[in-house]
Amino acid sequence: MDRTFAEKYIKDLVEKAIEYGFEDAEACFMSNSSMEINILKGEVSSYENSTMQGVGFRGKKNGQMGGSFTSDLNDDAMDFMLKNAMENCEVLDDEDEEFIYCDPDNSHLESIQLSGSYDKNTYDKFSQIGLKLEKDILALSDDIKAVDYLSISCGTGPSTSVNSKGLYTYKDSDMITILAEARAEKDGVVKTGSYYWFGRDIDDFDEEKFLKTLKKRVLNKLGASSVKSGEYKIIFSNEAFVSLFDTFIGNFSSYSMQKGLSLLADKEGEVIASDLFTIREEPMYEKALIKFPFDSEGVLTKSKALIDKGVFVKAFYNLKTAHKAGTESTGNGFKGAFSAPVGISATNLIVEPGQKDFDELCDWVGEGIYITDLNGLHAGVNKISGDFSLFCEGYLIKDGKITRPVEQITVADNFYEVLKKIIATGSDIISVPEGKGEYFCPSVVISKMNISGDVNEGET
Amino acid sequence: MLSDITISRIIEAAMGTTADFAEVFEEEKKASNVGLLNKRTIRAASGIHYGVGIRLMSGTNVVYVYTSDKSEEALIKLAKEAASAIKGGKAADIKQVEALSKSSPSILEIDPLTVSKKDNISFLKEASEYAMSYNELITQVAASYVTSNRVIHVVNSEGINKEESQTRIRLSIETVATKGTEKQTGRVAPGTMRGYEFVNEYPVIEKTRECCDTAIRMVNAGYAPSGKMPVIIGNGFGGVIFHEACGHALESTAVGIKSSCFTDKLGKQIASSIVSARDNARIEGEWGSYMTDDTGRESSDLLLIENGICRNYLVDDLGARRMGCEPTGCGRRQDFTYAPTSRMSNTYIDNGKDDPKDIIADTEYGLYCTKMGGGSVDTATGEFNFAAEEAFMIRNGKIAEPVRGATLIGKGQEILMNIDRVGNDLELAAGMCGSISGGVPVTVGQPTIRVSSILVGGREA
Repeated sequence: MDRTFAEKYIKDLVEKAIEYGFEDAEACFMSNSSMEINILKGEVSSYENSTMQGVGFRGKKNGQMGGSFTSDLNDDAMDFMLKNAMENCEVLDDEDEEFIYCDPDNSHLESIQLSGSYDKNTYDKFSQIGLKLEKDILALSDDIKAVDYLSISCGTGPSTSVNSKGLYTYKDSDMITILAEARAEKDGVVKTGSYYWFGRDIDDFDEEKFLKTLKKRVLNKLGASSVKSGEYKIIFSNEAFVSLFDTFIGNFSSYSMQKGLSLLADKEGEVIASDLFTIREEPMYEKALIKFPFDSEGVLTKSKALIDKGVFVKAFYNLKTAHKAGTESTGNGFKGAFSAPVGISATNLIVEPGQKDFDELCDWVGEGIYITDLNGLHAGVNKISGDFSLFCEGYLIKDGKITRPVEQITVADNFYEVLKKIIATGSDIISVPEGKGEYFCPSVVISKMNISGDVNEGET
Repeated sequence: MLSDITISRIIEAAMGTTADFAEVFEEEKKASNVGLLNKRTIRAASGIHYGVGIRLMSGTNVVYVYTSDKSEEALIKLAKEAASAIKGGKAADIKQVEALSKSSPSILEIDPLTVSKKDNISFLKEASEYAMSYNELITQVAASYVTSNRVIHVVNSEGINKEESQTRIRLSIETVATKGTEKQTGRVAPGTMRGYEFVNEYPVIEKTRECCDTAIRMVNAGYAPSGKMPVIIGNGFGGVIFHEACGHALESTAVGIKSSCFTDKLGKQIASSIVSARDNARIEGEWGSYMTDDTGRESSDLLLIENGICRNYLVDDLGARRMGCEPTGCGRRQDFTYAPTSRMSNTYIDNGKDDPKDIIADTEYGLYCTKMGGGSVDTATGEFNFAAEEAFMIRNGKIAEPVRGATLIGKGQEILMNIDRVGNDLELAAGMCGSISGGVPVTVGQPTIRVSSILVGGREA
């Protein structure tokens, strides 16, 4: 569907909605086009090419906002959406008001982040890179027995919205992702490890660098054993820390706070973490692949500290929660899909790095565990209380050096306590894609955490 | 829906000169949901998802394309693009399309999509009001109702022409108990393919009370101990352990490429001899059921493990090509945006002989997980982890104090061999399963079982 048609469709829908009796109305059109190949055993085992699109509508009547959506844009779709959204307004009794908004000075918002290199993303190019990559992974070591998963995908996602207050938005961006999981086997023990790359130009993919990291992630796990249960100093790898932090990011949402579902309610301005810990949201961060100049409500985003030297500065707000709290939206009102309501999401987050590189951190820690993988984050956590007990993998640190891999251990603690126990951040910052944007995060050291292992007294 | 002529044209275009199989998957899903938080209706939405997926195969080479644009012109263009990407040999003949046959696993007395949102809300308000006045420790209650009707139409070059209609309802009641800075939740989330009569018959007050009691017990509980110990896992959602640690590893997605820890185990012992397990997609009205899978094949009641011996894998049509066997009718996908893969339906460990009371009485010391949360597994290594939502210590054969924050970890193949007691109180429970073909409704289930030794990750030494 072309842009002109989509824009006319949603404009007509909003006009019809006002005639239908809504006080205010907004419609968005979202589309996702993607192409993906999968490689298995020397062949392109699958190829996908697709376009998914739909229209989401929200209309306000008597202070309530009703929503509806369709991906079948036939002649009856507009009537269906208006009728259903009106019925939904009638049953809602939300005491917090939702808004349809337009800043007169910023009523026309466009963000186009498309690479000039998208045309290179062809089946032939991806197949060639994927087949070579699989071959090269298998050649890394005799212990690598298979590449169970290898995909190369690219996508673009234009979206546009209009509302009865005069707002017009349009945004589009593109991205390529490469993901590989290899399986190693030695002495009857199987281990898997994966790695990814993402970017805009497929020619930026550095296979050598990719192989080097993937090799470490798979082969270094061989020969792993458990450890004795007890308290250990912990270094979280960049990715492990990001996965832990992101599991609890919802607690920094003003919505969770207002609904009594976050222990951070009424804590803005208070110390909640170690003074060595600072994390900022930078929607337009220079190094981020995707930038977010405005949110789905048409509010301009801004750079801000979430936690500054341990102090919880300000939560993430959209228009609805900001109104309730008597403050301004922080530009974090995002819709995840055309069928979804406006929620609250963070964009690009940056954890302030420290001075020590990874080897210096190990040396400084002396004895402890380096955690590289945290599993079961969707299950082994109590998102409200912050308690977690997670299956993890990593390495034992002895005499300031990584000694051997560890497995069959769990780490148990409380998210809020962990924030307070941060005793260092490394200088080894990397980008980790998570949520809507990316985290830029170093390794993070925690003074002590409980590890449950499977080794008896006397063993090591 | 698309006309027969349009579908035939798409299949013809898709087969091109190299594909040996082409399939058109058309889907329309009408959905409606309402959500309450602390007695207020804060969410109400309705909508239609529609789209078409075209899948081609040549040997084990697969091409999948999809769109929500249903114009014949767009679909034929997409089919031709797919045909140009398939690698392989010669095109097979296109067989005459069979007469359309329709099926449904739903048993509907009252079609839920005809019930007004006001009625849905009055049911949820009853739960919310009861919970909020039950005990001062209960500070929040979230309740939601989601219903949908999904109609799929599958036509392929082998002549299959099937339509299946699936109507589902899912309820969720979640209560939060607060004590100081501590918050714990209790939750029930039943799912069904029965009609709205299920909601009318649901013992809402009793179930809400259970949620509240769980939340209150857990907020008052101390932390679980850590270390290896015997673990009794309660019936119903406790079956998630089998689903995650064993079910996924029996899918042809993993077995077909020999990446599973259960590869080449047919006829061999993979579980304790007191364990038998099934995947039965054909239970009418059950949340995870379907009569026709998302590739147009008839579903099955599959014996996975018989007295500890591996009897069958879950094989979809691509898996069948890889493994040289027949598909078992388990090709599923979240919606048209995913190519189908082998998936579970209603998967459970079958009843054993023990009275659950005896299992507890015969356990001197251990952990009793009465309510399990979710978990995940690496099918290659078999390593899994699960969280217990509600658990108690067992001391001297008796249920002792409640404990929170317990996680069970281990390797699926070892846990299966270590099941030493199986109860006679089989129960099924609804869940959602996420995998490479998206999120699909499944039920998990088991009677009460005991595993002689599992590593428990808790916070107390």
